[in-house]
Amino acid sequence: MDKILIVEDDEKLRQELALFLIRNGYDCTGLERFDNTLEDILALDVDLILLDMNLPNMDGGYVLKEYRKLSDIPVIVITSRDNEMDELLSMHYGADHYVTKPFNTQILLAKIVAILKRTKGPASQEKISCGQFVLNLSKSRIEKEDRIAELTGNELKIIKILVKNKGNIVNREDIMNDLWDSEAFIDDNTLTVNITRIRRKLEEIGLQDIIETRRGQGYILLDN
Amino acid sequence: MVWIVSFARYMKDRWKTGVLLLFVLITAGILGLVYSVSWNISVYTAAGITAAFFLGNFLEYQSKKSYYEDVFGKFNRLEEKYLIAEMLEPADTMEEVLLAEILQEANKAMLEKVNAYKYIQEEYKDYIELWIHEIKLPIATSKMIIENNKSDVTKRIEEELNEIEGYTEQALYYARSSHANKDYCVRRCRVKDVVGEAVKRNKQALINQRIKIQIEQADQIIYTDSKWLGFILNQIIQNSIKYRRETEAEICFIGEEKKDKVILLIRDNGIGIKPGEVSRVFDKGFTGSNGRIGKKSTGIGLYLCKKLCDKLGLGIELSAQENVGTEIRITFPKNSFTDLSEE
Repeated sequence: MDKILIVEDDEKLRQELALFLIRNGYDCTGLERFDNTLEDILALDVDLILLDMNLPNMDGGYVLKEYRKLSDIPVIVITSRDNEMDELLSMHYGADHYVTKPFNTQILLAKIVAILKRTKGPASQEKISCGQFVLNLSKSRIEKEDRIAELTGNELKIIKILVKNKGNIVNREDIMNDLWDSEAFIDDNTLTVNITRIRRKLEEIGLQDIIETRRGQGYILLDN
Repeated sequence: MVWIVSFARYMKDRWKTGVLLLFVLITAGILGLVYSVSWNISVYTAAGITAAFFLGNFLEYQSKKSYYEDVFGKFNRLEEKYLIAEMLEPADTMEEVLLAEILQEANKAMLEKVNAYKYIQEEYKDYIELWIHEIKLPIATSKMIIENNKSDVTKRIEEELNEIEGYTEQALYYARSSHANKDYCVRRCRVKDVVGEAVKRNKQALINQRIKIQIEQADQIIYTDSKWLGFILNQIIQNSIKYRRETEAEICFIGEEKKDKVILLIRDNGIGIKPGEVSRVFDKGFTGSNGRIGKKSTGIGLYLCKKLCDKLGLGIELSAQENVGTEIRITFPKNSFTDLSEE
């Protein structure tokens, strides 16, 4: 499990952020004292650091600059200073990404996934097995024994969400939310069209009626 | 202002010297009578004294006239009138020295006063920025708590929080826009990326209201502060959401590359604006009839957009048709800086 260190002096935000990351499958620790920030960070063995810019005793920018001289562990800067200059400066000091408070948690999560994937090499996320078929993410297709269904970008994103929540209902808004985060601004009708296409492609490789519509609730990928 | 003092008007101010002249003439007359000086000589002397008096005054008048004409000429040409003290010719006469001194002292005093206000304003702006950064922390924490405790209730609270966040940001940019200094940072960015960010920020409302988003040909490179531009687009999108049509609402972003500029069109098919009100939409506090019927409007959003665009050197125009839609056109000029930079 990837380990994330949260360097944020506001206790409540730190706890909630940790809770959120733990729920999303990360091992999470937070610094609680800030009198020896740099040494404390260096003493811990982590995979990624979330660093607040506004820290007591030692400025986050300084911590980052000094830390970069000694370590290559990815750092995402979290700050409430919302201007281009600070962003530029953080990047210059060696930050891997920069998010401003209040941040969109899904986007933060997506950034963490992307950065960890880049630094740790492609994880086992290349292919997801779902019992009846295998979702090949790198080739954007569904594989069932020797039969293959090619997917478009949006179709892949939609089926991925359904696969992740296999056996549970996913409502349309959640699917659209996810798609919009990756800049696919599809509307209600387009989603319906995409779902229909996915169903047809699944049927072509012999998977019939595995996505069900639950009226007023959303879609469910059947788990059998 | 012009120098309009005639010689007669000038002499009127110097009536005391006139009285003196009369006194001299009378004294001379009496002395002439007492010492029985010949009539001819008396008249000649009196005429001589009078002529010398007027000639002297006229020369004085001429030199003052040329001096003040010079001063007024410069004064009229000056854009910043208070700089006149710096423009005066080196003073010759006592009067000119005094005038120059008074002007300089008055300017200095005024500058001190202006600086004092400038300082107060700057301090206030700094406080606003600080306060906004402080308030963002509890907003961020609240959002995290909602994320960790999802329910219908927290979802509704989140919508309210988003509104608070929007108003907070507006205050930040208001403080920035009315500040004399340039506190933006121009960088290379792609129209599509800035538009995408702004759309994502309004994701919740756009999805809930089933508003269709279209982004066409937006691969152009522009040089601007992407955060400021993001804020401007955010205001425009929020307006489009607020004044949407009931069904099949749509917002369209179209980029267009011209020889000397890049244009970004933001077009919606909302309720539009009454013809008589279009020209006033960028005025501060203008709410229009749309803003008054049910949908609350502060009249700040577009005013700020215009102000920020002016500061960034961007053009912003709005055209609208009632019940058809609104179109906003943002123009990014290309300049030599753009041409020299790396592709």
